[in-house]
Amino acid sequence: MTEKLRLTFRKGDVLCIAGVVLAAAALSLWLAVQALAAEAVSVQVYQNGVLVRECSLEQDAAFTVTGDYTNTVSVREGRIAITASDCPGGDCMHSGWISAAGRAIVCLPNRTEVRIVGVNETGVDMVIG
Amino acid sequence: MKKTRRLTLCAILVAMALALSYIERFIPLNLIVPLPGVKLGLANIVTLMALYFLDIPTAFTVLILRCLLNMPFSGSVTALAFSVTGGVLALTVMAAARKIPQISVYGVSILGAAAHNVGQICAAMMLLGSGYIIAYLPFLLLVSILTGLVTGSAAAGTFRALQASGQFPSGAGSRAVPGDAAGQVREARYPRFSVRDSAVSDAR
Repeated sequence: MTEKLRLTFRKGDVLCIAGVVLAAAALSLWLAVQALAAEAVSVQVYQNGVLVRECSLEQDAAFTVTGDYTNTVSVREGRIAITASDCPGGDCMHSGWISAAGRAIVCLPNRTEVRIVGVNETGVDMVIG
Repeated sequence: MKKTRRLTLCAILVAMALALSYIERFIPLNLIVPLPGVKLGLANIVTLMALYFLDIPTAFTVLILRCLLNMPFSGSVTALAFSVTGGVLALTVMAAARKIPQISVYGVSILGAAAHNVGQICAAMMLLGSGYIIAYLPFLLLVSILTGLVTGSAAAGTFRALQASGQFPSGAGSRAVPGDAAGQVREARYPRFSVRDSAVSDAR
């Protein structure tokens, strides 16, 4: 019976883990290649699908994005982060600082998305809707 | 009677899944791994249970009911969209993986966790209308291996306890093997996956 249910670790499970790791590696490699391909980057901030702000990573700045909640976005030394937020969970704050093209910080409760966009990046196959 | 039994079982499984989803909120996994959507996925133990001991339609019923009833707890339609997309994709993948003889409950659980994250990212991409959030997916996939192992071992433990108490999976191909006299006797004595308050004491 135990055999039928297969409750012990098997060879196939290792392949499952390897498959997931491989998928993660392939995806991050693809993202890294895209980030390297970008020559210059700029920041786009979307709230509820609408572009509310576009700025450079070169100049330090801080601003707020308000939807159902309020996020404080900070640009410092070429990096960007959501440094304060009153959303439940606060995953956006915990996401930390990002600087590479193709990366994004998302605050789902507030529907905020902070994107780093590579200037010469085609990006077309990444954007849907 | 059979219908009543199925209804009762579904209700118990949904209640268990809801309780596990609720308990999970007190495990602050996203403090260790600060990514949106990171959680242990304890409710997946119940989905696995329905998949292994009952059948695929029941598993889907329990999953959808759990997602709907969890809405008052999570308090948002967004969360519902996420759990349904993730859950349905996870169950589809797990139902397929269950059929592969080389994969144990651990592998099924890991694939389910990974599929759940893929589903959630897809839901987020649709919600935000952008593909940038896919940058989270590699990390979420790596985390899903660990959470999948945790829920998988919890499920394996639960299944062993269920078997020890004389419960049997009802799915075709998992019935008592012909010639397994002990198995057939047990099967005659205990209805499959029935609700028996004396089942545990019988086994001890």
